[in-house]
Amino acid sequence: MQTTFETLADPTRRRIVETLRGGEQQVNDIVLQAGIHQSGVSRHLRILHESGFVSVRPDGQRRFYALRAEPFREMEAWLAGYHQLWEARLDRFGAALERRKSARSRKEPGQ
Amino acid sequence: MSDNCNLDAGDTPLAPAVFERTYNTSIEELWALWATKDGFESWWGPEGFRVEVHKLEPRSGGALHYDMIADTPEAIAAMKQMGQPLSHNTKGWYEEFAPHTRLTLKHLIDFIAGTEPYESLIEVDFEALGDMARMIVTAHPHRDAHWTRMSIEGFRGQLTKLDRRYDAG
Repeated sequence: MQTTFETLADPTRRRIVETLRGGEQQVNDIVLQAGIHQSGVSRHLRILHESGFVSVRPDGQRRFYALRAEPFREMEAWLAGYHQLWEARLDRFGAALERRKSARSRKEPGQ
Repeated sequence: MSDNCNLDAGDTPLAPAVFERTYNTSIEELWALWATKDGFESWWGPEGFRVEVHKLEPRSGGALHYDMIADTPEAIAAMKQMGQPLSHNTKGWYEEFAPHTRLTLKHLIDFIAGTEPYESLIEVDFEALGDMARMIVTAHPHRDAHWTRMSIEGFRGQLTKLDRRYDAG
């Protein structure tokens, strides 16, 4: 997962991912839409491909790039766990508040 | 997204997790759980751990140093299985500290082998609602997910129990 996060930590790669959300594209189209120089796009596409974010489909001389769902599902699962940890932590926060309230009531029975 | 958060730009591609809770109590009580030794020790987790605060300086820039100690047989077994110590000294500090209004808590993540130390950020906003009080917690996922992932894997059993409890509710 560390690699997954590191891959998307780069803002240029995030722009490429955003561009590919509309469907598979060739390098030239990505260059135009993302506004990034071709050499940069090629380098970042290679990294995205190596880390599993992007698939490549050759068609004659052309190469089409598309997003793969797996790493995004992996991140989603990680985030769900992260949310669960915080939900549990805030559950304990609420329980601690209740304990403080009970303790105060015992000290101040008249209220 | 992360471009809007206070961490270094590009540190994480993840949006912060935002939690909003409303309690039938005063803001002072909520604040005390974040900004006093007894309060913080009474709830800060994770599940199966207890916290011993060694230093808490209630001011902007003030230190929050504590030990996170595995406290249940399950947590102790999980930490041993992962080759982790049973107690870990954690260093944090309050960056913003506006009593009963807002605080930001930063932690130094310096315990991951092979990873340069970095900071994690939690923002907490408080709002009075008549006799009640609202708290909004914005937790920014760690740039390096290792520590949280380890917690998730180590305490999946506890999380499953929580799932059941929520489902039952």
